[in-house]
Amino acid sequence: MSVLTISRRGLLAGSALLLASTALPAIGRAQTPKKGGRLIVAADSEPRNLNPAIVASNGVFFISSKVVETLAEASFDGKDGLQPRLALSWQGAADGLSVTFKLRDGVKWHDGKPFTSADVAFSALEIWKPLQNLGRTVFKDLEAVDTPDELTAVFKFARPTPFQLIRNALPALTSVVPKHVYENGKIEDNPANNAPVGTGPFKFAEYKAGQYYRLARNDDYWGKDEPFLDEIVYQVLPDRTSAAAALEAEEIQLAAFSAVPLADLDRISKVQGLKVVTKGYEGLTYQLVVEINHRRKELADLKVRQAIAHAIDKDFVVKTIFLGYAAAATGPVPKNDPQFYTPDVPTYPFDVAKANDLLDEAGYKRADDGKRFSLKLLPAPYFNETKQFGDYLRQALAAIGIDAEIVNNDPAAHMKAVYTDHAFDLAVGPPVFRGDPAISTTILVQGGIPDGVPFSNQGGYKNAELDALIAKASETLDTSARTALYKEFQKMVAADLPLINVAEWSFISVARDTVGNIANNPRWAVSNWADTYLES
Amino acid sequence: MTRALALLRRRLVGSVFVLLIVVIGSFLLLEAAPGDAVDAYIVSTGGDAGMIELLRHRWGLDQSELTRLANYLWALLHLDLGQSVTFSQPIRNVILDRLPTTLILMGSATALSFGFGSALGIYAGARPGSFRDRFLSIGSLALYAVPGFWLGLVLIVVFAVDLRWLPIGGIETIASAKTGLARATDVAIHLVLPVSALGFIYLALYLRMMRAGMAEAWRQDFVLAARARGLPRRRIVLAHVARNALLPLVTMLGLQSAQMLGGSVVIESVFAVPGLGRLAQEAVAGRDTPLLLGIILVSAVLVVAINLLVDLAYAFLDPRVGASEAGT
Amino acid sequence: MRRLRRFFRTPEAIAGALILGLLVAMALAAPLLFPGDPQAIAGPALLPPFQDWSLPLGTDRLGRDMLAELFHGARTSLAVGLAAAAAALLIGAVVGTLAGFAGGLIDEVLMRISDAFQTVPSFLLALAFVSIVGPSLGVVVAAITLGVWTGPARVARAEVLSIRERDYVAGARVIGMHPLEIAFREVLPNALPPVLALSSVIVAAAILTEAALSFLGLGDPNRVTWGGMIAEGRAVLRTAPYLSIVPGIALVLAVLGVYLAGEGVVESTAVRRSLP
Repeated sequence: MSVLTISRRGLLAGSALLLASTALPAIGRAQTPKKGGRLIVAADSEPRNLNPAIVASNGVFFISSKVVETLAEASFDGKDGLQPRLALSWQGAADGLSVTFKLRDGVKWHDGKPFTSADVAFSALEIWKPLQNLGRTVFKDLEAVDTPDELTAVFKFARPTPFQLIRNALPALTSVVPKHVYENGKIEDNPANNAPVGTGPFKFAEYKAGQYYRLARNDDYWGKDEPFLDEIVYQVLPDRTSAAAALEAEEIQLAAFSAVPLADLDRISKVQGLKVVTKGYEGLTYQLVVEINHRRKELADLKVRQAIAHAIDKDFVVKTIFLGYAAAATGPVPKNDPQFYTPDVPTYPFDVAKANDLLDEAGYKRADDGKRFSLKLLPAPYFNETKQFGDYLRQALAAIGIDAEIVNNDPAAHMKAVYTDHAFDLAVGPPVFRGDPAISTTILVQGGIPDGVPFSNQGGYKNAELDALIAKASETLDTSARTALYKEFQKMVAADLPLINVAEWSFISVARDTVGNIANNPRWAVSNWADTYLES
Repeated sequence: MTRALALLRRRLVGSVFVLLIVVIGSFLLLEAAPGDAVDAYIVSTGGDAGMIELLRHRWGLDQSELTRLANYLWALLHLDLGQSVTFSQPIRNVILDRLPTTLILMGSATALSFGFGSALGIYAGARPGSFRDRFLSIGSLALYAVPGFWLGLVLIVVFAVDLRWLPIGGIETIASAKTGLARATDVAIHLVLPVSALGFIYLALYLRMMRAGMAEAWRQDFVLAARARGLPRRRIVLAHVARNALLPLVTMLGLQSAQMLGGSVVIESVFAVPGLGRLAQEAVAGRDTPLLLGIILVSAVLVVAINLLVDLAYAFLDPRVGASEAGT
Repeated sequence: MRRLRRFFRTPEAIAGALILGLLVAMALAAPLLFPGDPQAIAGPALLPPFQDWSLPLGTDRLGRDMLAELFHGARTSLAVGLAAAAAALLIGAVVGTLAGFAGGLIDEVLMRISDAFQTVPSFLLALAFVSIVGPSLGVVVAAITLGVWTGPARVARAEVLSIRERDYVAGARVIGMHPLEIAFREVLPNALPPVLALSSVIVAAAILTEAALSFLGLGDPNRVTWGGMIAEGRAVLRTAPYLSIVPGIALVLAVLGVYLAGEGVVESTAVRRSLP
């Protein structure tokens, strides 16, 4: 009986979908923030290591960025897209060998000790540079951090390091942890990795595995009147369908990182009391990329790669797979990046006939069964959309006579198959653009990377010219010259197709109307939420 | 009594071998997996070659398989389950944290399916071939044929989202600081949906077994004799027919305990219940070999213990069972 | 002929046979009615059923024809069920016969191994096996088989134990037949009927296990299965419920049909055996 009721109502909703406009309710009304309240947020995974200074990833930031702060945060309107956090100002030397940070006064750690430049020096030298997944690249030439006084930290580099890169790395790579907590014993074994101590607006209160994380208000926070919330609770909801149900049942108030499936957004936006928010992820752009194994003789042929690029209907991908919540990509830098993006690159419009011609030219004629050759296609298992794109790509390749067999692996097996064993022909990956191509983008196409490095060029692609360009850009200090080099980089990648950039997407938040001040910076979901509030 | 003890001893010795096979088999299976704990960890973090090497060394994954198996078995002899790399905690703590939840969930679901199943089975089997017999046995079968996750999702939509009678998931109201009776009530309310989803699936099993057993019993001489003596039908049904059909159900209870644990993997995932089933799934995803071994071992011990209890109960209930192998 | 009539005595068995017949017909007709890849994109995405008569059951998230998927899904779901049942019965019958006929140490070892398999929750085993080897149809069948072969093995062993002391077995021994020949030519065929009676249960369990594995993302992505369709549709359970309800109903009916038909067979043979 109950099944029938749902089906009827659901069918009506289903047909309404076709008629629905794309308009979404307006975000947030002007209101004076209220103090107090518990914000309950959906969490779909449980990071074990919560130290953002070691693990600089969005899954960790989602929780720990409220506890541990960085030197600066991304901003919609601040200079260079930044706003101060623990650092008030940053100045790079002309020779690229030093960067000076002036730190905020009167900041206390959650255990009451004062925050000083010694903490910054310790975090940079002992953690970011040797232990952090991203810092190991960006801070590789960091030699020393001078602390002339308690509120000044001077980073000294052994080789000229572009200030632009350091600046762009500030929001994600510079979580400062207390020296006095970490200086004794092995940093990796420190209990504070599971119960972080920081300077942020919220203190880490408790973690119940499989159930929730709880953060409590830091009464000594440096921000005036902040934070507004008393508590943030992350409820662990492993199943992808539960977040929407929990929002509707008013058990949670916020689901970030597209925890509500895209296909459900239209319906949920019409639910009384819920709002769909597409802002607040501008600094967290994910790229949908077809990774190519250039060891396969067919794929080493540029014509074949061009044919594949022409066979992909980016418009279909954006409209059907991402339901419009994405943009078609032109190259390795996303369109929404304010500093580096250039549209002036070779493009590959959707053209099946041309793709077929290219393959004929390359000498891969269709056999009697209509197939030219077979491929193994490995879609990354992390997102619904990467898997759906895998299904689509298989069909798109079938249209040009390439027979692709999809291999589904769980994350660990995918990691091993693609990045260590190279047991793939094509893979679908979701690399993250982190505001500067040098942080995690050039590594996707650069040659000479050892086996086993995740989210890097493991397709065996080598291009001396491109490698030289990457090397040159990494030591070019002048901002405009450096930017120009990365524009050249985009052209070369789009022309030679070491990989195929298909689309760029960010995430969607769904929140109850009562949640205020959400999405007010480009990395909102992973920022500190000091000014977020709940109307009663 | 001595017969029961002999049975117990025999079974315990056998169980040690069984558990050893289970441990070594699972270890080899996990070793064959593509990707190890470091690969699983690096998925969410990224990192370079040096960092990967560092982690492999720290987690002891650079040792040979044989060394690790030997180390594991040696530690196991000292009742040490080892350290979980994904939780950075002793595995004993991780498992003990989840075990009560799973026991409550499985216990309640078993009670539900066994209780309702056998009661409805008696009701159906009291009149074999009647409309209610057919309706119940096909109805329960249809329920059995519904994939558990789907039943769970539908229950959530109806009872938690639309009617809002019950919470959508979890084991208790999060971070509520409830204690004592208030907490017990809270847990009970949270368990209604997952227990129903898990229990109703297996209900068919007991119901159908009960009515099949009863249909068989109706043809037996002693029942015919009881009817000839003119005993009231109600009394015949309960005292003679149903009682005879109950014994195989007890055996089923033991056999089913392992399957119930498997079924709870999916249910725990749908209802966000922090139990062993979900932990096992996380252990597989994280390639946390010692953790998965620990879970399999604990569940195997549970299953062995439950079956032992069932056998002992059987030995007491049915005098025909002796040292022979009947009842397994 | 008489057996057939006996089989069709109860309405349940008739219903079961009808459903099963329909299922087989769907599976056989799938490549004729819907030639080509059922996963090909055929129209606009998320088209509800009964809107467009060229796509009567609508389309899924990518615009694939639900009706074509349903027919091809019948093929795979049935294939998974039958293959798992055949493998489990074969392994079970061989192991059970060996254990029962050989006795002694062989029996002890084989039975402890089967105990070990029974101790580990079969779904957990299937889950671990598929996530480790990687999901493809063959692996899914193997994973399901791993969890269910012990049932047939135990039944076969029990049957063999009771048969092996019978006269004709003793006779075969006297004329000097090889023990293995006796086991597999004389004993096994006679022990088979009760083992085969388990097949419907196994087929049904296999179809359900495949669905649950698909739910956890462990189905074969190159094939359509009903379980995979339900699992994919569940994310939009409320926006487009038909995506999971249509294959859901098909799955429930199929499992029900297999069960009822299986029961009909068991009952008709059981009566025959009690009659002689």
